[in-house]
Amino acid sequence: MRWLLDHQSAFSEAMKRTRDRMTQFIVVICLLGVLLAIPGWLGQIWLGMASLVPSDAVQSEALVFLERDLDLESRIDLERSLEDQAVIDAITFIPKSEALDALSASDGLSQMTVLRDDNPLPDALRVRFSFVGDEAGEAAVIDGLRSDQRVMSLRYYPSARVQYASLVEMLGLLGLGLSMLTIIGVLMAVFLVSAADVVDDRRRIELYTLLGASNGFIKRPYLYRATLLGLLSGLVACVVIFGLNTVLSSVLASNLEALDPELGSIPMDGRILITVAVVAIVASWIGAERAVHRRLHALH
Amino acid sequence: MIEFESVSKVYDGQRPALSTVTFKLAPGEMAFLTGHSGAGKSTLLRLLLGLEKASQGVVRVAGTDLASLNGEKLARYRRRVGVVFQDPNLEEDLTVFDNVALPLRIAGFKEADIPKRVNAALSRVDLSDQAMTSPRVLSGGQQQRVGIARAIVHRPALVVADEPTGNLDPELSARVMRMFTQFQQLGVTILVATHERAVVESLPFRHLTIERGRLVSDDVGASR
Repeated sequence: MRWLLDHQSAFSEAMKRTRDRMTQFIVVICLLGVLLAIPGWLGQIWLGMASLVPSDAVQSEALVFLERDLDLESRIDLERSLEDQAVIDAITFIPKSEALDALSASDGLSQMTVLRDDNPLPDALRVRFSFVGDEAGEAAVIDGLRSDQRVMSLRYYPSARVQYASLVEMLGLLGLGLSMLTIIGVLMAVFLVSAADVVDDRRRIELYTLLGASNGFIKRPYLYRATLLGLLSGLVACVVIFGLNTVLSSVLASNLEALDPELGSIPMDGRILITVAVVAIVASWIGAERAVHRRLHALH
Repeated sequence: MIEFESVSKVYDGQRPALSTVTFKLAPGEMAFLTGHSGAGKSTLLRLLLGLEKASQGVVRVAGTDLASLNGEKLARYRRRVGVVFQDPNLEEDLTVFDNVALPLRIAGFKEADIPKRVNAALSRVDLSDQAMTSPRVLSGGQQQRVGIARAIVHRPALVVADEPTGNLDPELSARVMRMFTQFQQLGVTILVATHERAVVESLPFRHLTIERGRLVSDDVGASR
């Protein structure tokens, strides 16, 4: 009961302090919300745009034509050895009729219907590489297949990601570095804003200590206020991210719809919104906790 | 009630702030602690409030060695002590009533018991009619009296005052000292640090003088 009353009292105290400085509180929330939205929106672009990228841009593929007289056991053995490769995502058996269609489609030709009745092609395996596999790993698999007695020939379609691996890697590192810097900067801002609230109250903390308040009693109102600050900033950030995504979608909408009628907008990733809100609350809470702890520690 | 036994306090790389200070204050006794700025008065009070630990020697209050207290035990000890500051240190966002009620709320008193105690404390300092006003509208003397009411509201056995009349004119200083005298008559142990020798010499209480960290005189006075 005492515990509940202490928390109720701390919450009331936090709300009272918020009401007393409402304008300041709203300005801080809006500023932090916009700051938090920057890394959140970068994340949304990464994830949202990734969902629009055709899979063949990031996943290489190979059509492996098997020797004409290959028995079933040898084929299954080959499939199993390929399944063990980390860079391979999926292997699909293609009867020779489908292989003919796939080949004509990949070469940009019309259906070779005239060859249907007398199909010159053997059965094939469609090998889809992992979207995280590297160029060297894929090359090793392809070289292995080319020298394999069970394989007649193969067509390898490297993804754009593999073809431009060095450029993609450089851009990825650059993006990752910038994102990390943004995230650290924003976390520092939330942390410092939350801590500044405590520094303002140095005298109050000293007074409460001398009146016999426990550390928990002193900390609680600041932690409630910091949680509220983080929660509201996170919500503002979510609204900003959603708004920016809508604006970006409207700009790209015509192009997207031309690409695929189902793609009217960039899909909003809920994980981004939840992460932004949680990070805001945690950063704000830690900022206040550390600041009060330092202040109490300095008193003794 | 208070016992300093060969207490020294040295801050890092500096000369001793207190040097082998020894004295005892009996329960219900009132004493003044005087000395120039930097003589060691504040250090002595900080030791008494558990804000510092002695480098050497023992500080005991009601038989408890303060060095053995920390965390929640130290907080509980402070709840039994009343503190009066030179600057009353009132919370301007709270009313006079809520300022005085602070020690009770911190100590976990039931809300139903608080008004009676707060009103009694305000009545002792003649501020019953100001309970619902903001400290901002009070004069310096009134604010100091609110600070005193806050120090005695939880009926502590010990009251420590650090320059309580430092910002007051002589008339108000005398009034504040009279209040301390009344509390002493109720059995409260009181230690008042001040540099106003005139105030001290006009009252018949024990008088400790500290210079350069050493206790140089202990004038027992006429009260005991």
